[in-house]
Amino acid sequence: MKKYRTMKWVLASTLLLSIVTACSNQGSNKDQPSTTQPPSGNAGTEAAAPDPFGKYHETVTVNQVIGYNPPEDSRIPKGMTPDKNAYLKDLKETMNIDVKFKWMVPSNQYEQKFSLAMASGDLPDLLELDPKNFEKLKQQDMLADLSEAFEQYASPALKKYMESDGGFSMKTFNSDGKQLGIPVFEDPFLSTQLLWIRKDWLNNLNLQAPRTIDELEKVAEAFVNNDPDKNGENDTYGVALQKTLFFWGFDVRGFFNGFGAYPSVGDAQSAWIKDSDGKLIPGLIQPEVKTALGKLQSWYEKGIINKEFALKDENKVVEDITSGKVGISYGEWWYPNWPLNLNVDKDPKAEWIAVQIPGFDGPGKSLVPKIRAGKVYAVKKGFKHPDAIIKMMNYYIEIGNKKYMDQKKPEDGYVYNWYNPRVYNPAQIETIYTEVNRALDGNQTEITLEDENYVKVTEVFKATKDFLTGNTETYSKGVNWGHYYSRAAKEGGWGMTRNIKESQAFVNNEFFGLPTSTQVEKGGQLDKLMQESFTKIIMGGDLAEFDKFVASWKTLGGDEITKEVNGWYSKQPK
Amino acid sequence: MAHKQTISRKLFVVLNSLLLTLITMLGIIPFIHLLAISLSSNTAAMAGEVKLWPVGFTLDSYVYLGEKVEFFRSFRVSIERVLLGTAVNMLLVFITAYPLSKSNDQFKFRTPYVWFFAITLFFGGGLIPTYIVVKETGLINSIWALILPGALSVWNMVLMLNFFRSIPRELEEAATIDGAGHLRVLWQIYLPVSLPSIATIGLFTIVGHWNSWFDGILYLNSPEKYPLQTYLSTLIMSINAQLSSMSLEQLKVMENLSEKSLKTAQIFMGALPIMLVYPFLQKYFVKGMTVGSVKE
Amino acid sequence: MRTLKKEYLLHLMLLPGVIVTLIYAYGPMAGLIMSFQQFEPLSGFIESEFVGLDNFSYVFNLPDFNQVLWNTVIISIFKMVLFLLVPLILALLLNEVTRRWFSRFIQSAIFLPFFLSWTVLGGVIIELFSLNGPVNSLITALGMEPIMFMLDNEWFRGIIIGSDVWKGMGYNMVVMLAAITGINATLYEAAEVDGAGKWKQMIHITLPGMAPILILLSVLSLGGILNAGFEQILIMYNPTVYEGADIIDTFVYRLGMFSQQFGPAAAVGLFKSVISLALVSLTYYAAYKYNNYRIF
Repeated sequence: MKKYRTMKWVLASTLLLSIVTACSNQGSNKDQPSTTQPPSGNAGTEAAAPDPFGKYHETVTVNQVIGYNPPEDSRIPKGMTPDKNAYLKDLKETMNIDVKFKWMVPSNQYEQKFSLAMASGDLPDLLELDPKNFEKLKQQDMLADLSEAFEQYASPALKKYMESDGGFSMKTFNSDGKQLGIPVFEDPFLSTQLLWIRKDWLNNLNLQAPRTIDELEKVAEAFVNNDPDKNGENDTYGVALQKTLFFWGFDVRGFFNGFGAYPSVGDAQSAWIKDSDGKLIPGLIQPEVKTALGKLQSWYEKGIINKEFALKDENKVVEDITSGKVGISYGEWWYPNWPLNLNVDKDPKAEWIAVQIPGFDGPGKSLVPKIRAGKVYAVKKGFKHPDAIIKMMNYYIEIGNKKYMDQKKPEDGYVYNWYNPRVYNPAQIETIYTEVNRALDGNQTEITLEDENYVKVTEVFKATKDFLTGNTETYSKGVNWGHYYSRAAKEGGWGMTRNIKESQAFVNNEFFGLPTSTQVEKGGQLDKLMQESFTKIIMGGDLAEFDKFVASWKTLGGDEITKEVNGWYSKQPK
Repeated sequence: MAHKQTISRKLFVVLNSLLLTLITMLGIIPFIHLLAISLSSNTAAMAGEVKLWPVGFTLDSYVYLGEKVEFFRSFRVSIERVLLGTAVNMLLVFITAYPLSKSNDQFKFRTPYVWFFAITLFFGGGLIPTYIVVKETGLINSIWALILPGALSVWNMVLMLNFFRSIPRELEEAATIDGAGHLRVLWQIYLPVSLPSIATIGLFTIVGHWNSWFDGILYLNSPEKYPLQTYLSTLIMSINAQLSSMSLEQLKVMENLSEKSLKTAQIFMGALPIMLVYPFLQKYFVKGMTVGSVKE
Repeated sequence: MRTLKKEYLLHLMLLPGVIVTLIYAYGPMAGLIMSFQQFEPLSGFIESEFVGLDNFSYVFNLPDFNQVLWNTVIISIFKMVLFLLVPLILALLLNEVTRRWFSRFIQSAIFLPFFLSWTVLGGVIIELFSLNGPVNSLITALGMEPIMFMLDNEWFRGIIIGSDVWKGMGYNMVVMLAAITGINATLYEAAEVDGAGKWKQMIHITLPGMAPILILLSVLSLGGILNAGFEQILIMYNPTVYEGADIIDTFVYRLGMFSQQFGPAAAVGLFKSVISLALVSLTYYAAYKYNNYRIF
């Protein structure tokens, strides 16, 4: 470390040269990010501090592992694998960081392979962890303290991201003043439930977009019985639903929310809402859930939801949406991006809109989590250069800048979602929304944004332009529309979501800790109990079964979990 | 084998053929379904409209498939695995089954040996311990990791020893009188008369090696070394059911799930070669047994 | 009777198989220790806490365990019986087919579904039996009410059993055909001379000739009594049929939903092993005592 410090001036002065030689037309690497840096006042000391993009004298080798999906982008050269990713070559050239992969597996096998790696004590230097594994490794004291490396080497953009939620997410992974992980988090409002509905079907039947459950029921019944697609056949049903009732999509979270019921965020356990005493109560067993189940039962009876929904997985539901068999689905902002775009490509007349979830008398309130962080990056204890990991994070953010747009092309082997660690702007979607709309309102032909969000914003802006002008040279109409309508349209996925955010039409899921010990032990059984009882009720069972379910849920571990969750809650800073 | 063609016999033959034809259809239909999807336009495939006949016929999937480096690379690995693996397995099955097919008075320690092997049919250590052993023996990331741990299939060995027992003792005794040792009996007598059983067990071994995919995921660290079925398993992506929210990045993955025709084409082509092995091996099923011609 | 000398050669022949089995089958069995531990991958076998029989009592006392055990046994017994009967009947019927190309073609077709994974076939089966599927079209065409096969506990079990037998029957059929070809052809010739019909030949020559293989297959299949087909059921079941189709393996799988529970999973594995070993040993000695036949 000491030796390195004495070298810093040499390094700083050679940096510019080395980057220029590495990427011929890249220009100055140092002052570009600093132009967008918030005037934090410490710029003077920063200049003398270690360089976030500095090149190492001696090669630093970073062992990684990766769960990845095969490249489907047809522009990517044939036979690419993560270890051939062109970004790694750049890392070596610009910062002298050499990435080696201990193993590469398809992403759906990552968890399995990682637990083998843990069991055989064969961990990589850079760890991409879910909160559970993070906790395990933390308890075994196997994680390096990143505090100093982050403090000294994090680029202004990375620091800005981590502070964007007031340091809330960072704190979650801080233990006794040691920063053991850098979280990847997103705006929790991305989880807001919306109702997606076929506008062209509404038009065909002269109906208005529903605002209440009753109106929705009328619309849905019309979609079942009145041939909304005008093809002369009785081949449509009302609301899309797949077999797992609370899931990441095509489920009934939004439906229940409309009744003021907050059973789950879709993670196979109850959601936790605050009651009037300030205690957390399990949303899954509240009386509103029973009311909603009763309604769902009548919808099943009427054929509004498919008679065989309990057989459908998400792929089958997507087939129904694509082929125009169903015209309503509860879900999040991203639906236009997938799978609604498939329907738009298949049926040129198809038009989808988003509305706020219908409630009793007017729109209802959606359940929104407190934090939305799927993974955290950590470093194995004993690895000599935690700063290299921070620099790699800096690098990933940095390449979002305009000047890299034409250099790092997929056809040259740049596959960005194989690069690790990928920490990105938590407010990425909001930035895209504002910037694209600013450009549209100002009739700009290109994005003038001068920071690390440029590449992402430009992608959406281009798709938007293409959609609005009917240009399908790069992507199909569906794909263009999907980008536009999910991220940029004022009445679209994110546009609608931010209205809901502003109007405070949401309820928080207050619990965001790790699964409690009883949840780990009994969670699987409780979930089975719920799925079995609820599905049977919906399919015509006795609604009174719900009360039995509540009683069993409590005795089988639910009461215990409630205690544990409240114990956790009392320790949270209010 | 000539026999009198009575009326009831004729009726039986007709009914038998009909029944078997029906069962045949049941076996073939899924493949026709897959073939139809792979020859359909992707939109029709995604919409679930394809049954047994292509909708929006196109050869696109196969054209793309022709350019899939990954497919051909892992195809080659699979061939290598099948050749190497089958050779090792068959050799071990053969030389292990022979001593164990002896009677207890011919081979005193037969019973303890047999149980030593048989126990492993029921007891296993599970995923993690097996992985650790494979790792400690230095096989990780090598094709031997797919071959050595299962080099002796006890199940196949038991089948083989039962086939060996059906070989008439007279054959062996005749040879021993001529002064032949164990090795000669094995190679010159057992081998030629066991062709049907070798073909049977060979078939299972080949199919086993061709179809197994999970060991590839466990023991190989780089997709370049994946055999075909391991590679194909990466195409059938399922989203973790515990996922409560789809991040921006996962969304990218979902967009790519849409290439159903291409995926189906690969699944179909992945099963095709192994389907051709069976008819090829079949000729040994009939002509192997020449036992009847042995002098008694 | 003359026996071959040099028993050491027999030991030598067993050596490679013994080594491989010792390392890769017995080595990992050290991991069975997990079933008595609160196993944590990071701590390993040595540091994980011992909990005695806690894992066993935890699993056996789970509220649905009895139901699940019952489901497992009933489904696997049906599968076991049908996996013997159906291939036997097929093999006998095929034996009566005189045109060789036809016989070969049918054998291949019956074997085909074996080459596809449940991930691929599961969807096809669900579609086949759905409300708008071909089976229900047939039923409504015959003027009956459509049936929700996959959502009815009784029907669903039937479909699970039937489709698994359909997928796997080729395997045992091949073994049985090989056994039939092993039967001494002179026996049939003698029977023809005696004027015995096809039926009599089957009863008196073919079936007795196959007996060893039939006994072997039945005894060994008993070892799988607590395996009712994890992958298949996991892919095809849904909450409405948990009651009738949730088996031990799917049950344990769901236990690990929030965090992999290595200890209980290993305990269940050990429990299954012990049960199958006991059953197989029992039948092994029964076959030996009453039939004087050692299956291995």
